[in-house]
Parts: sequence; structure tokens; C-alpha cells
Amino acid sequence: MARTTVVPIGPQHPVLVEPIHLRFEVEEEVVKGVTPVIGYNHRGIEKLMENDFKKNVFISERVCGICSHQHSTAYSQAVERVMGITPPDRALLIRTIMFELNRIHSHLLIIGLEADAIGYENMFMQCWRDREIVMRLVEMVSGNRVHYSMNQVGGVRRDITDAQQKEIEAGLKLFEERFADLDQIMRHDPTWTARLKGIGILPRKLALDLGAVGPVARASGVDYDIRSTRAHPYAAYHMLKSFKPVVREEGDVWSRMIVRMDELWMCLELIRECMSLMKPEHLSAEVRGNPNGQAWSRVEASRGELVYFVKGNGKPAMDRVKIRTPTFANLPSLGPMLMGCQVADIPPIVTAIDPCICCTDR
Amino acid sequence: MSMLSNSLKNLFSKPATRRYPAVPANIQPNCRGRIEYDMTKCIWCMMCSRRCPTVAIESDKAAQTHKVYRMRCIACGACVDACPTDAITFREHYQEPGYAPIIDTYHQEGPIPKPGPKEKPPAPCDPGEAPKKA
Repeated sequence: MARTTVVPIGPQHPVLVEPIHLRFEVEEEVVKGVTPVIGYNHRGIEKLMENDFKKNVFISERVCGICSHQHSTAYSQAVERVMGITPPDRALLIRTIMFELNRIHSHLLIIGLEADAIGYENMFMQCWRDREIVMRLVEMVSGNRVHYSMNQVGGVRRDITDAQQKEIEAGLKLFEERFADLDQIMRHDPTWTARLKGIGILPRKLALDLGAVGPVARASGVDYDIRSTRAHPYAAYHMLKSFKPVVREEGDVWSRMIVRMDELWMCLELIRECMSLMKPEHLSAEVRGNPNGQAWSRVEASRGELVYFVKGNGKPAMDRVKIRTPTFANLPSLGPMLMGCQVADIPPIVTAIDPCICCTDR
Repeated sequence: MSMLSNSLKNLFSKPATRRYPAVPANIQPNCRGRIEYDMTKCIWCMMCSRRCPTVAIESDKAAQTHKVYRMRCIACGACVDACPTDAITFREHYQEPGYAPIIDTYHQEGPIPKPGPKEKPPAPCDPGEAPKKA
């Protein structure tokens, strides 16, 4: 009878990029249980957002450094829903373009980190080099690499001009070349497939029961993508015809990464379609008065479904802003994924859910 | 195999990074670096300090000075959008780091200028210009 040992990892640990505490119960080399403990990165953002509803856009962006635009989009459209504002189509299309550019760099980041977790340094460097292309594109459009400040309540603040569209198009062409390489490596490279296939399996039923979202759910065969949910249209996705959710059935770490890779191809299509639909229009609708009432909005951030609930009371300061981030929804499914795996497989499995502890703790 | 050819290609190609202090950084023309005041244009409407989400601008109309707390500024551009006379602009240059709080003071000499005839109202939401058709 093997003895159970508890191995605490984190909140400060070289394997983890962000502060989360994971308590593993192991029998020799096999994981028998895991308890995630969160709250090491709490910054009180929700309390801070009891503030002027226009200034909150900048705070919401700072919930997360990777999906910053997605947070501010979710917040702005929740406030727009309270105030009954419809942003112009051009604003929605610009939001969508930034949204998908954001998704490209988020997915490239996590594919790189996954390669790093299995010790594939070469691929890690390749992904992060390619990520630099999109960082340069968003800097060209918005003036900043991380916090774009593109959104405001009612629309967007900066335009994407024709010259900038041409540069984005050139960037996408370069991506096509690089993605073709990356795609081949992720599907056929023996180092990548042998290490990641068949570990961290999450069956479809468990994914549904535990409320997994985003690429984690879609890799387990759950067809759940807010971009395709017609009941809750957001940004410009209802105008785009080329969108199809990427769903796979395997449910292991490898398929989670392939879902992300396929989404990268989808991003290129969506950005191109958005740019073809842009017409000269105003960038923002007029905003009068203060939000009075409550609404919620959800978007498909790169890690999964992101929900914002806002409540206003007719004054400039909001009453309440509640955020439900995708990593928080994905953490429960970490337990069944890690059950019975080897200790050496812990880093790739934890990385595959794309944990953003910064978002989770807020 | 694809990775092997990639690695070999990388071995003989130029580095992807630039040697920054020797080679200038790739700063884009509409970069949000740091804000600068043109004090000849300021009409003291105080919209900049009111719109700032981080209370980085302290305006004193009586003394005709704007104090900018550089360490608080997040370069969001809310003041640039709000300014009716375009007295605030972004400089394409990032704020240098420091050990102590950096406070820049902008002082206006002489009488406060009258708002010009082309003044756009400090609207709560700038509708923006309709982009030109290509």
C-alpha cells in the first residue's frame, strides 16, 4: 500500500507563471487528488469599479494583460445595453478586428507556453517571435502593445484607416506562412504529439457537468462558443459568415492545443471579412445621461466565456460590476484532468487550460 | 521534421530582435507615449483633470498650472480626447523610469486665451470624424 504524500506547488514556483497554489496528493509518481487555492492576486478591481462608468472602461481593461480588449468590450457592451445605445457598425467591426488580433496573440502565447512546459524551447521561441507581428499591428492601430484603450461606451476611440488595413493584411499574409509551419509541427511533430496525446483527458459529460468553457470545452466535444450563439449577438459576429466553431472530440491536452491552432486560422478569416465589410461611418454613438438599471453581457474571450454584470443607479458611478472570468470556470475541471496522471505531466496539463490567475482573482 | 528545417533556417537568418539601445526602438507614429501640454492653447476648461481615471492631472486655474503625476498616468488618452482646443497631445516617447515620483508642471504666462471660433464642445462622447472613402 503506497503512502499518500501532499506536494504543495505555488503560489511562488518556477513552473507556474502566475500565483496559484495547487496542493497535490500523490502516491509515488501518480497524482491522486488536487486542490487549487486561489486569491493570491486579489486587487479589488470590482470594488474599484464603483466609479464613473466611462472611466471604468480603462479599469476593466486592466483586469488582464492578455485579453485586455475583450474585458473592455464586455464591459462597454453591458453598459450600452443598460443605456440602450447601439454602436455604429464600423465601431463593431473595429472591435471585432481588435478582438481577433487579441485572440491571435493570446493563443500564440499559450501554445508557446505549452511548448515551454514540455521543454520544447525551440518552438516556444518561434511562437513568441510570431506573436511579435501581431503586437506590432495592434501598436500601429491603437498606440500601445498591451492596453489598447480602443473601446469607449458607445463605440471605439480610434479608427482603422485604409493604410492600416493594408498593413494588417500584410501581417496576416506573414501569419499564414508561419501558421502553416506551426500547424505541421503541432499535428505531426513526434516530440509534440508523443508528449501531449492522451494526457489530461476530460470526457464530454464531465466538461458539461463542471461547466468548462472555451477551448477546454470545445476540445471535449461541447459545441459552446458565444460567437456563434445567435441569441446573444455581440460585436460584429452576427454579420460574419465565415465563422464556424471549432470542436474536437478527443478531450486531451493535444486536442486543446489543436482547437487553438484551428481558431488561429479562423481568426485570419474573420479579420479579413471584417475589413471587407467596413464602410465610412461614425466611430461612436452619442452617450447621454447615466446608466440606470442592470444588464449583463458575455463575450467569447480567448480563454472562454467572459461574463460582465453591471448595475447603475442613474448616477455616474456604477453600483456594482461583477466579472466572471473563463479561468474561474475552468478550474474545477482541473481535478478530473489531473487525476491519475504522472507528476511529470502536471505542467503541460495545467498550462493547457490556459490559466489566467490574474483574471481569476481580479 | 518541420521543426528541424526551421531550426536550421534560424541558425543562418538574422536575429528577430533588435539591439535596442544601439538601434532605435520601433516606435509607431501614433504611439501613446506620454502627454504634453501646449500651454498657449489651454483655456482652463479643466476637462483633462476631470476625465483622468487615475487622478494624474492636478489643475490649478488660479495659479494657471497643470501638474502631471507621471507615475500615475496610464497613457489612456482620455484627456487628449476631452481637450476642446487640442492643447494636450501624445509625444512619441515613453516616460523614463525613476526612483522618486516624477511630477511635471506646466505653467501658463499671461492672460487665459479665449476659446477660438472653431472650438468643439467638450462632448461626453466624441462622435469622431467619418473616415474618408478610399
